[in-house]
Amino acid sequence: MAAKILRTLLRTKPTNLMMKRFESTEKRVVTFDPFGNKPQKNKKSYLEVIKMFEGRDIRRRGHVEFIYAALSKMREFGVQKDLEVYKALIDVLPKGKFIPTNIFQAEFMHYPKQQQCAVDLLEQMEDNGVIPDSEVEQMLLNIFGRRGIPLRKFWRMLYWMPKFKNLSPWYLPSELPNDTLELAKLAIQRITSVDPGTAVDVWQTEEIEASLDKTWIVSAQSEIQKVLLEEQPPEEPLVIKGPFDVYLRDQVVTYFTLLGKTRQEVEDDKDPDDVSNIEKPPGIPGYLGSTKLPSVKCTVHEQDDGTIVAVCATGTSSRDSLLSWIRLLEKNGNQVLSKIPVIFTLTAPPSDIATQETQIATDEKSSVNQ
Amino acid sequence: MNLARRICTIRHPTVSRKFVRNLRISVVNYESAQATQPQVKEEKFDFEDLKVIERTERRKPKIKPFMKDVFVSVFNKELLAFPEVLNKEESENLDQRIAALDRVFSDPEKSRDDRKTALKRTLMYAAPVSLTNNGLAMNVTEGIRYLEVISSDLTLGQEVSDHWVGLEALRRGLEVDQYQQIVDDLITGDRNISLCIKERVAERIAQADFRTTAELDGQGIWRITGEKVCQKADGYMLVLSSIEAGRLKAFLVHPGVSGVTHSGNFVSFLRTPATPLSVISEEALAQTLSLSRLYAATLCRVGLQRALRACLEYIQPRAFSGKPLSELSTIRATIGDALLDLYASESSEYFTAGLMDGYEEPDAELEMAMCRNFMANHGLSSMLRLLAIPALEKELECKQILDDMRNLAARGDSLDGINMFIALNGIHHAGKMMAEEIKQIRNPLFHPTFIFKKVLANRKQEKDDPKLNLFLIEYLHPTLKQPSEQLEYCVLRMRYACETLMSRHGVNVGTAFTELNRLAEAATEILAMTAVLARASRSYCIGLRNAELEMKMAACFVDVSKDKVRKLIKEIDDGEYLNLDRFRVSFGKRYLENSSDFVEKPTARTFW
Repeated sequence: MAAKILRTLLRTKPTNLMMKRFESTEKRVVTFDPFGNKPQKNKKSYLEVIKMFEGRDIRRRGHVEFIYAALSKMREFGVQKDLEVYKALIDVLPKGKFIPTNIFQAEFMHYPKQQQCAVDLLEQMEDNGVIPDSEVEQMLLNIFGRRGIPLRKFWRMLYWMPKFKNLSPWYLPSELPNDTLELAKLAIQRITSVDPGTAVDVWQTEEIEASLDKTWIVSAQSEIQKVLLEEQPPEEPLVIKGPFDVYLRDQVVTYFTLLGKTRQEVEDDKDPDDVSNIEKPPGIPGYLGSTKLPSVKCTVHEQDDGTIVAVCATGTSSRDSLLSWIRLLEKNGNQVLSKIPVIFTLTAPPSDIATQETQIATDEKSSVNQ
Repeated sequence: MNLARRICTIRHPTVSRKFVRNLRISVVNYESAQATQPQVKEEKFDFEDLKVIERTERRKPKIKPFMKDVFVSVFNKELLAFPEVLNKEESENLDQRIAALDRVFSDPEKSRDDRKTALKRTLMYAAPVSLTNNGLAMNVTEGIRYLEVISSDLTLGQEVSDHWVGLEALRRGLEVDQYQQIVDDLITGDRNISLCIKERVAERIAQADFRTTAELDGQGIWRITGEKVCQKADGYMLVLSSIEAGRLKAFLVHPGVSGVTHSGNFVSFLRTPATPLSVISEEALAQTLSLSRLYAATLCRVGLQRALRACLEYIQPRAFSGKPLSELSTIRATIGDALLDLYASESSEYFTAGLMDGYEEPDAELEMAMCRNFMANHGLSSMLRLLAIPALEKELECKQILDDMRNLAARGDSLDGINMFIALNGIHHAGKMMAEEIKQIRNPLFHPTFIFKKVLANRKQEKDDPKLNLFLIEYLHPTLKQPSEQLEYCVLRMRYACETLMSRHGVNVGTAFTELNRLAEAATEILAMTAVLARASRSYCIGLRNAELEMKMAACFVDVSKDKVRKLIKEIDDGEYLNLDRFRVSFGKRYLENSSDFVEKPTARTFW
């Protein structure tokens, strides 16, 4: 018998032995679900369950299984972004027991299952963008000691997570507003940030008597865009394009653009290597610049597919609300819109438009006479 | 200038006579061209009208533009002999007038009206007008001397200098009979000419930079509409406006005509009738008006002198640790710096004036702009250091001095605008000369042998150690050997800098603003260095009082300037990543786009 055991041991490679140990533990994890019977799923009840688990048994038997179960239920309770909850979960682990006391323990992953559990917990925090704080560090220190794997994970998180958090050039508040109007304002501000002179206005369609949809419109237009709109040729129609999506974290806002014709490209057939006649200023003191304006493409609003003269998001994204938008634009300092026809090219209109109109309007163009 | 004098001299209708006189003047020129020294010529008498006596034409023949040539490392060594424009008699007359003016202007008791009377009595309002029109036929050198005294009253200084520039422009721009009609009224001093050129910066994208327009109405009268920056609107006004096809033309607006309203620093015209300056071309107008830059430099310099005097008055009676305050070496050093700036600026102004007065058809626009920028730039920083000495005592006086300086530095046009003008003109000139070379540098694979030669030729330049082959010392006092070599180094680096810039940007070099700014600053320093060396050498050679101090000042100034130029050109050579322009520009862009500070406070945290 002893010889048999010895043979098996010799045949197995040491690494396999380690893996086997992990495998066996993984397989034997039994999900224990104390969360299922809670009628109200919120932070308070979630914390209550954790408290109950802590109070039930002085040895806290099965705490690893409990933490895994709790992690999987977080989204259900809507607490996946709450640092306090994560702290309460970490607090379930016993203090002092897992700290290695000698060099071998420290080197060969003392209490691997528990350490892996804490790492998984931290991973879930990372996935949800929850930045831990120094209290978490203290707790992990008390549980796993300085040399624990969770601590190393924690320190890396503290280095990288703030960087990723501030990576986007468009600042968003840590909690997005629930109101769609506020969201729309944020979205429109973001997409119009190319021109710092943009003014974002909120209008109500009630101002236009003929409107069917009673909703709000967030419209953005800068002074430059007003000028570009004024200079549009009156015979060429403007085009409303959309809906386009802009993402604010996990929220989507749809917006529309009003496109006009772009002025011609700068024609530059000069030889870039010929410096024999470089342009020089006239040199009259006090005289700078020129007496004429450039009549070529030179602003950021002039893109290849057209000049963006205004941007909006409406409460319903319906065609009627967009029509109201055009009328409101006309009312607010763009008189030229009364003369120029506007074409709607809404490629995939949202379903609510179909209910308001009798036909389903996909990929169609219809001209609206102002 | 020369053309103008010819017009003044010959006031006779018949063509044949004009021809004879033209010939005569050219003969005079021919003689003076032969002479190495300025010569005192006999005064010319017009025997038909004995009252007609004009100043003699003593200018040397036309030379190539000085500073423009420096951009391609060509240095006119003749100019290292500091120009001497005035002869004995002129100099004495000048001193007399200056003394008369100084009596009134240095007396704090006298009121502004007294000063104005003094100006009228010394014919200052008529100074640039020809002798035949009861003027003084003043040249630029004299102008600067007068202005130094007059601008101790800054308002009068600005007024008079504008008036002079205006008179000159009118003389060259108006038809002869029109000019004769109004010249007597212009020189009385009651109604001065103010320059209305600058406009507000456009506030909308749909506005052109320059918006004043002039149109011919049904009766053939030009009418001006627009708004200008102008502090005084009670006299004549010289207004620059655009006519059809974006061309520019200057107009004279008479006092008291309809459609002129004045508020604050702005004057607006609404269909105001005006007389066009039809004879003068756009280039000539630019040249005439750019004289105002030279005068602005003088005004700035006098401003700095005032600050220096205020410091002196503050320091002298005070003490620190039981010793006079004036014994502090930091204070002495600050004052020394200011003196160096003053010396350099004064030298370059007179040097430039010498170029204008000493040669026919002078092309000194660049030099005048450089004088203005040198003084405005150094003057402001130097003044800030000076005024830090009295700290918060003498608050009112310091504020006034500083404010005047700021006004002067921003008057006419901005530092950057002038720097651009200097650099682009220089590059334009260099481009004409180096076009073939640049083309080859930019297409290296088509010209392998040339590139090989170029690499060999530039190897010293790339090591920042050009071979000094101009031998400027041969034209200066031998003790100035080291400074002259430093100047030589700077001059020789200029061509390399231009070559680098043009081969990097090609024809779009005009958009490399930060690098052009450096080029302009380097060129400005070179002008100042040249002027300072020439002046010190002259003073020492003819043994002026304290000339040995001048030599030391010149050596000091050149040493400091050389380092500046070396750094500037090194930065041009490095390019936008190594000289950090790329990043500075992006920070500025970020701030302007966000309209707010983008750096978090040092107390901010990302986690607790």
